[in-house]
This record gives sequence, structure tokens and C-alpha cells, in this order.
Amino acid sequence: MLNMKNISRIYRSDTIQTHALRDFNLEVKEGEFVAVTGPSGSGKSTFLNVAGLLDSFDEGSYELDGVNIKGLNDDELSRLRNEKIGFIFQNYNLIPDFNLFDNIDMPLRYRGFNAAERKRRITHALEQVGLASRANYLPSQLSGGQQQRVAIARALAGEPKILLADEPTGNLDSLMARQVMELLHSLNEAGSTIIMVTHDPEQARAVGRNVQVIDGQITDHSVYAPSHDNTSIVVSV
Amino acid sequence: MEMFNYYIKLSVRNLIRNRLFFILMISTLAVGVGVFLANIAIIKSMSADPIPHKSDKIFNVSLNVWPLDNSDAELLEIMRYDDAMHILKNDIATHTMVHYQSQVYTRDINSKNLTRHQAVVRATTPEFFPLTDAPFAFGGVWQQDYAKQIVIGDTLNQQVFGGGNSVGKVLEIDGKPFEIVGVLKPWELKPLFYNASFGQKFAKTDDIYAPIETALDSEWAIALRSMSSERINSVSDNRGKNGFFIQAFVQLENQQQKNAMQEYIDNYSQYRKAQGEFLRANDNRLLDVNQWLTHQKVVDERMLAFALASSLFLAVCIFNASSLLLARYHSARFETGLRRAVGARIKDVFYQGVVESMLIGLCCAVLTLIFGWLFLQISITLFPALQQTSDIDITLILMGIGIALITSFISMLYPLIRSCRTPLSTTLK
Ligand SMILES: Nc1ncnc2c1ncn2[C@@H]1O[C@H](COP(=O)(O)OP(=O)(O)OP(=O)(O)O)[C@@H](O)[C@H]1O
Ligand SMILES: [Mg+2]
Repeated sequence: MLNMKNISRIYRSDTIQTHALRDFNLEVKEGEFVAVTGPSGSGKSTFLNVAGLLDSFDEGSYELDGVNIKGLNDDELSRLRNEKIGFIFQNYNLIPDFNLFDNIDMPLRYRGFNAAERKRRITHALEQVGLASRANYLPSQLSGGQQQRVAIARALAGEPKILLADEPTGNLDSLMARQVMELLHSLNEAGSTIIMVTHDPEQARAVGRNVQVIDGQITDHSVYAPSHDNTSIVVSV
Repeated sequence: MEMFNYYIKLSVRNLIRNRLFFILMISTLAVGVGVFLANIAIIKSMSADPIPHKSDKIFNVSLNVWPLDNSDAELLEIMRYDDAMHILKNDIATHTMVHYQSQVYTRDINSKNLTRHQAVVRATTPEFFPLTDAPFAFGGVWQQDYAKQIVIGDTLNQQVFGGGNSVGKVLEIDGKPFEIVGVLKPWELKPLFYNASFGQKFAKTDDIYAPIETALDSEWAIALRSMSSERINSVSDNRGKNGFFIQAFVQLENQQQKNAMQEYIDNYSQYRKAQGEFLRANDNRLLDVNQWLTHQKVVDERMLAFALASSLFLAVCIFNASSLLLARYHSARFETGLRRAVGARIKDVFYQGVVESMLIGLCCAVLTLIFGWLFLQISITLFPALQQTSDIDITLILMGIGIALITSFISMLYPLIRSCRTPLSTTLK
């Protein structure tokens, strides 16, 4: 699904060079749920941005769902982002004066779906995150956890190959964080491939596979036993 | 198409959401374009060709008739009665006319109302009408040089007789009766080329056309430039004396005719020289309508300076709008970044910006036309001489819309390119 080999990403300014990623190797298989942990500034977000085609890389090779990323132009990259990738941000990044429907509509517009198909997908995505009845709400009328679920619905609506989440629960209190995690787990069970950056060791432990980024490199490939199927977390959506 | 509608929807939402900002920005542009447009309107009608189908065939005749040896004197467009009569006698030109301008007071002789109307008189010769293509509504021109007959323009006909066929009616001019033999249709000639000297370029067409001999005999005063080098006791006393006040125009169809005419006036000049006049070197000129208008500085130099100023002002407005937009795009970076992250191509972002700029351009166009019209009215109030040049025609309206669209696109371009170039990874957290 995702295959990075010897990726390096160097941020250059006039005076300093930052090796945000160096010799970064990672392979993620279809259906995996990967938790990425590591100290602040270690390169987790940079990795996710490169993986999500929001950022370029300087060296190495990157293959996403069988497509070699090197040398693609903006149109091709945008199309891959649109079709294969769903982003979930720490800050939700919903457009405040769009209602939920229009927020989720956004990626579908660039896909060129007709109105009926968009509506079908939006309704379905809202159902998946348990907010079907609130399509006309504005983001500000929802709690933080609900907003993050809308963001997840937006990521899901395009039926992406892979979900990329950068500290999706970073802004949420523990109860709402649990709800969001539960949603991600159920999506993973339903077949979604997920890569999630997190600072919460407990969250990481609950996930099928953990990798640690230190100083721009993967340093730990420890695989934990999946524990989400016998989870004790009670979720009310 | 669906995308286009989406862009329109997004742009409208954007405009409404940031209405204060956009009102400010659009007004800035519209003021700039409006001033520019008003200026163009004035210059355009100032520099218009009044008689395009034959402006290269009608020539002003300027003779080097000044009797004194004043070698650096300018070209003289007015001539003496005797010179004018000699030019009238030529059998080279298709049409020849001479004229001077006067002002009189007039009324319908049969009216009970004693109000007199001030009227501009063109004291001229019959070929004035075919030469200038003056359109007759009724009747025609006088048949005798000394006839107490006149042709009147549409405006005076409306004023005095309420319009209609007034041929045969009698006008009282300065107390004496004159029979109307012809009435013109409404007639515009901008600039009024035959009257182009001395700030009269944009006068309306005349009220009364009278035989020049009749005008002289009636002592109708000379209302345009006149000079004399000897004492002249009355208007009619100009005959045979050194009073300079008549202008002459000829219609010449081709270069041969023009050469012949040039020879004709040069010969005349030589002949006068032999008699001890015309002390200056031969400098008799035939200037066609456009050369003549240029020579008479029909486009005011102050106007051109103002045009330069107004284009600079427009540039300032564009810079201003552009920097406003730059700031706004900066604050809209989040949304742009988000759209890119979910799959919008740079192209999509750019197209959306173009659609938005076109929408802004349309709002701007509406305001521009309003402002442009306002500035024109203000200009006319400040400079009444511009009255006759105040045309906003359809080409100008289209031009205003075009300029508004283009300027809003230009203002948008740099901010938009900047916004398309923003690296994605830095805008989203
Ligand atoms: N746009 C950039 N320009 C220059 N340096 C950058 C840029 N983005 C990140 N960096 C640097 O790259 C390194 C990795 O940053 P990154 O954001 O990937 O860390 P992180 O692991 O996500 O940290 P955190 O846990 O705090 O979010 C840091 O040293 C950071 O300063
Ligand atoms: Mg980070």
C-alpha cells in the first residue's frame, strides 16, 4: 500500500539545514493500522505530509498504492491526494461557514462526481460517523469530538485507500478522544488502512502496529498484539 | 460547468462574507477606472473626426496675408473680405465656402411674445451646406448673395416655432425681417471643425445661416477672432479694407485638385506681393480637417496631462487593490491549503480565483460606470467648455466594463499566484 525507501526530507533556510527525515524506511500493508510516535520535532508530521503528498522529499523512493510518486506533476499528485488519501488533522480544519454537508462535499467536487453521487456519499459518510441528522449544522454548533468526526467523514467520503491522521485526538478531552479512536478502530476493522501520529502511548498500544520516529528515522518496529478487538472502551456515539 | 457554478457559489460566499473588504477594494478600483474612463470619454470626443467620410477632402485655407513684415508671425487662418472673395471665385474646388460668426437677438415676427432669443449666426456662402453635409429638413439655401433670407437650425426652429416646417416664416433679427428658406435637421458636428479657432471647437451647430453679404450689410458683429491694420468704422466697412475675420474652406477631391488650389492661392499671394502687400514669405496652406484640428490644438494639452495623471492614479488604485487582496489571500491561506490537501489542483485554485476576479470585475464595472458618469458631470460643472464633449456612448461603456474586468484581474493576479505557490505542508496543522 505504502512503501518508502531511504526517504530524506531536508528543510533549507539561508543559514540552517534541518534533516526532518533521513533514510526513512517504512512499508505499510493494506488494512494495517499504524501508530507513529516519537518526541516532538522528530519528524512525524513531516513523514505524514510526505506520505500524504502535501510535501515533497529530496531523496529516496516512495510508492503509494502501486504508483511511484517521484516526478509526478501537480495535477497527478492532486488527483492521487483526492482519490487515494484521506486526511485527518489535529485542528479538524473544517470551513467554519460551511455546513457539514458542504464541508464533506469539498473533496467530492474536485473528484467531478455529479450531485446525486455526492449526496449519496456525503449521507453515507455522515452515517458512518453518526452525524447523519446534522448535515445542515455549522461546525461551530458541534463539540470538538463531533467536529473531528465530521473531518473523518470528509476523509471517508472519497473512499480513500489510506487515512492519514496527525494527532487526531490532540485537541480533545479523553472521553471525546475515545469516541474518535473507537471510530478509527471500527473503520480499520471494516478494511481501512490508517496511519496515525499520536503522543498518547495508550492509544498507540491499542493499535496493531507501532513505529517510532526519532531524529527523522524509524528506530523501532515493534509490533504489538492488536488489542482493539477486546477493548474495554465504551463508546457512545 | 458544474465546477464553474461551484466557483461562482464560492466566490459569492466569499464576497458576502468579506463584504466590507470587497466594497472597499471594489470602490478603490472603480474610482480609478471611473476617473480614467471620464478622461478617455472627453479626449475621445475631443479628438473625434467630425466628418470622417470626407475629412481628408475638406481643407482650411490659410493665407499669408498679414500686411506687415512680421516674419515669425503664426499661420493666419482669418483673411480679409477681398481675399475671401478671391478664393470664392476659384473654379478648382468642388465646394468653396467662406464664413464668419456673429451673434444676434431674434424672435418670430408674428409672435405676440416679445422675448428675443440669442442666436449664433453663421454668415456664409451657399456651398457651406454641401461642404459640411448640413442636412436640410425643409427647403434649401438662398439664391441671391444679398437676399434677406436665412436657413435656421433645428434648435432655434424648436425654440421659436416649436418645430415643423418653418419655410416661409419670418424671423425678426435685430429689428429687421428675414425670410426662412430652409430648416436643418438636428445636426451634430463634434468638433465643430469650421469653427475650431479660439475655444469654439465644441460649440453646437449654428442657429442661423445667412448670406455673408447680407450679414455685412446688416452690420452683424464679428463674434470670433478679428484683427485689422487700419481703422474700420463698421462691419460693412470691412469690404476693401485690411480687416481680417473671414475663414475659408474648400473641398478638394484629389491631389491634382489640391495642387491646383495651392497654385491658385500662391499666385494670388504673388500678385498681392507685387502690389506691395504680403511682405512675409509665401506660406499659404491647405490643411485638411484633421491637420487643421491638430493645428488648432483641439485636444487640450491640459487634458493630455490630466490623462497621464489619471492613468497613474489608476495604477495606484490597482496596486492598492492588489495589496488589499494580498492580505486577504494570506488570511485565506488556510482554506486554499485545505482545498489543495483534499485534491484541488493548482489550476483549480487559480480558476476559482479568476472566477472571483471576474465577479469582482463585474461589480467594479457597475460602480465604474456610475463613478465615470459622476466624474464627467463634475468635469462639466467645473469646465463648462466640456459640455459638448460629454458623450458616453456604447463603445465607451463596453470599454469601461472591459477595463474594470481587466484591472480587477490584474489586481488579483499577483496575490493569486502567491496563494497558489504557498507550500501546503505549512498551512495545515
Ligand atoms: N516548513 C519547515 N521549514 C523548516 N523546518 C521545518 C519545517 N517543518 C518542520 N521543520 C523542522 O523539521 C523537524 C521535524 O518537524 P515535524 O513537524 O515533522 O516534527 P513532529 O515530529 O511532527 O513534532 P511534533 O510532535 O511537535 O508535532 C523539526 O525540527 C522542525 O523544526
Ligand atoms: Mg507534528
